[in-house]
Order: sequence, then C-alpha cells, then structure tokens
Amino acid sequence: MKLIITILSLFSISFASVADEYLLTLAKQAKSENPKFSGFDTKRGESVFTSKHIGKKGKEISCTSCHGNDLNKVSKNYFTTKEIEPLSPKANPKRFSDIKTIEKWIRRNFNDVYNREGTTLEKGDVVTYIINK
Amino acid sequence: MKSLILTVALTSAVFASSFNKSDVAPVTNELYKKECGSCHFAYQPGLLPSKAWNKMMLNLSNHFGSDASLEEEDYLSISRYLNNNSAEKFMNYKRSAKIVDSLRAGEIPESISKTPYIIKKHRDIKASLITQKEVKGIFNCTACHTTAQKWIYGESDVLIPNYGKWKD
Ligand code: HEC
Ligand code: HEC
Ligand code: HEC
Repeated sequence: MKLIITILSLFSISFASVADEYLLTLAKQAKSENPKFSGFDTKRGESVFTSKHIGKKGKEISCTSCHGNDLNKVSKNYFTTKEIEPLSPKANPKRFSDIKTIEKWIRRNFNDVYNREGTTLEKGDVVTYIINK
Repeated sequence: MKSLILTVALTSAVFASSFNKSDVAPVTNELYKKECGSCHFAYQPGLLPSKAWNKMMLNLSNHFGSDASLEEEDYLSISRYLNNNSAEKFMNYKRSAKIVDSLRAGEIPESISKTPYIIKKHRDIKASLITQKEVKGIFNCTACHTTAQKWIYGESDVLIPNYGKWKD
C-alpha cells in the first residue's frame, strides 16, 4: 500500500513538473521579450482557446473545434471525426507529461487554427488555461 | 496432451485462415502507430506505393491542409518504415496488388482514395453517405470498414453510418 502511494505521488510530482518546467521556460522567454511581463493569465488563455480564426485551410476554426468546450470530456477531431481524449490533465493524466509532445502539438495546432505559430504569451496563457480546467 | 495438440492445431488453423484473408500487411511499427495514428487511424503502408508515401512525407507541414510536421529523427524513422513496407513490396497481399496494378505508368497518387482501384470500388456509393458528418470523406476508411484496423477491407464487413450493410 505504501509502495502504491509512493508511486502515485512520484507520478503526480513528475507530472506537475513537466507542465511547470514548460511554463517556466516560456515565462523566462516572455520576460526577455517584454520586461513588463507579469505572468500568464487564464482569462487571456481562454480567449486564445475559444476564439475563432481563419485557419490553415482558409476556414473559420478554433481550438474548441477539435477539443470541445468541456476539456474534461472526450471530443472529436473536426477534420477526421477521430476521437480525442480529454485535454485536461485532471481528466487525462497522460497530458502534459512530455515536453516534446506538448511542443509538437502546440506548434501544429496553432498553425491549423491561427495559420501561424503561437507567440510566447499566447502559448503560456493557453497552457495555463488548459491545465487549470 | 491430445487436447493440447488439438487446441494448438485449431488455433493455428484459425490464425492461418484469418492471415490469408487479410488484405494488406498489418501495421507493426509503434512509432508509426503513434505519430500517424493520432489524427486518423494508421493507414497500412501497403495501401500506397513508396513513391506516393515519399511525396506525402515531403509535405507534412501542409498535410491535406493540416500541419502534421515531425521532428527530424521521427521523420526519418517513419519514412524508412513506409518505404520498407509499401504496396509494391507486398504484392502477395490482394489489396496492395490491386492498388499498384490500377495505377497508370508513372502515376504518383496524392492519397489512397485517389488511386484508380479505390475510386472504382467506391463509385456506386451515394455522395451524401460519403460527405455526411459521421464519415466526411473516403479517407475515413474505418467509418465504414468495420475491420479496416484488422487489415480486412472486404465489402461483407462494410457498415455505412445511417445506411447499414452494403448490398450490391
Ligand atoms: C484539427 C484538430 C485540432 C485543433 C483545431 C486543435 N487541436 Fe490540439 N490536438 C489535436 C490532436 C489530434 C491532438 C493529439 C491527440 C491525442 O494526443 O490524443 C492534440 C493535442 C494537443 C495538445 C497536447 C497535450 C499533450 O500533452 O498531450 C495540446 C496542448 C493541444 N492539442 C492544444 C491545442 C490548442 C491550444 C489549440 C488551438 C490553438 C488546439 N489544440 C487545436 C487536434 C487539434
Ligand atoms: C495533425 C493531424 C494529422 C497527422 C499527425 C497525420 N495526418 Fe494524415 N491526414 C490528416 C488529415 C486532416 C487528412 C485529410 C482527410 C481528408 O481527406 O479530409 C489526412 C489524410 C491522410 C491520408 C490520405 C487518406 C486518403 O484519402 O487516401 C494518408 C495516407 C495519411 N493522411 C497518412 C498519414 C501519415 C503517413 C502520417 C504520419 C506521417 C499522418 N497521416 C499524420 C491529418 C493528419
Ligand atoms: C462511405 C463508406 C466507405 C468509406 C469511407 C470507405 N469505404 Fe471502402 N467500400 C465501401 C463500400 C460500400 C464498398 C463496397 C462497394 C461495392 O462493392 O460496390 C467498399 C469497398 C472497398 C474495397 C473493395 C472490397 C471488395 O470486397 O471488393 C476496398 C479494398 C476498400 N473499400 C478500401 C477502402 C479504403 C482503403 C478506404 C479508406 C481510404 C475506404 N475503403 C473507405 C465503403 C466505404
């Protein structure tokens, strides 16, 4: 039993640190880009996530088109109908557990929705929003 | 002991028969399944010749209008896997052979659904059944072919959403 608890707590520690580590790197970068930077913001992140844009395909789309409005629920890929597991790490512990995976999807998904890469501020805000959902 | 032998014999018979029925070689590469199976099911490499895979891989940042770009090491590894398992190398599988044989000399198809064999096989399906929101396009093999992930594409296993079993 003790072992299980130890493993569980190790797991949650390592999980927290990956998202935190990612956000810390972004925060340093944001500070160097703008000395007035004072932290990432959930409210701004929500607007990054829910607002509609003319995406890569020339059609209106948002992050919610694929990830849904409830980040604790399974959703459907807007282009292919394939199921997507919940984006919130609260509902899906596999999320935000690997930097390479996070960076890959953030890069791709910003290109799909905004037709450009995300800015440091947008990335930090939106990830802060997602992990608190 | 006898029953054990019998079981083994039966199991291998079942295995052998399902093996013969499979239309394309199974997907065996975990990295491929993970990276190329995240937005749609992982298409069997035996559904396209290597020239078509290579052309597709060269343009992953604009993959049918989506960004599917990969890190260099994953890109190289997946390209290698697709090349080693492409249709023209598995002509002993029925669908791979049919797809390759249907191509005109020098033709490099954009996708599986643009190969003459696949076009011909689907031309009798009403357009509204293909464009409906549960399917969206012929690209979505698994929406209709219930056994596509078991490498079987026979028409007897087709179940079209809001329509049902296919009868010629
Ligand atoms: C066209 C569909 C689509 C859109 C639009 C989309 N995503 Fe995604 N996203 C995906 C898919 C598919 C995955 C990976 C699937 C999986 O891991 O189950 C993913 C994964 C992610 C991940 C990976 C998290 C992890 O660690 O596993 C993040 C973060 C993410 N998306 C954020 C966003 C943001 C932010 C936007 C808007 C800018 C967005 N997505 C828009 C399809 C989409
Ligand atoms: C970011 C999402 C995404 C990823 C990752 C992705 N694809 Fe796709 N793929 C798509 C979309 C979207 C389509 C087009 C569906 C349509 O026709 O509307 C597509 C279509 C295809 C098709 C054509 C199907 C047909 O119509 O014949 C093939 C083959 C394919 N992808 C292979 C791959 C391979 C190989 C990889 C890995 C290197 C990959 N895909 C990774 C999104 C993705
Ligand atoms: C809209 C549903 C639908 C989708 C999507 C679809 N198919 Fe089919 N497919 C069918 C039907 C129905 C038939 C039988 C057509 C006939 O015999 O007239 C068929 C036949 C076939 C056949 C020939 C089977 C035989 O017994 O001769 C092959 C091979 C095949 N499909 C492969 C694919 C592949 C590969 C994809 C994805 C790239 C795909 N299909 C997508 C519905 C679909």
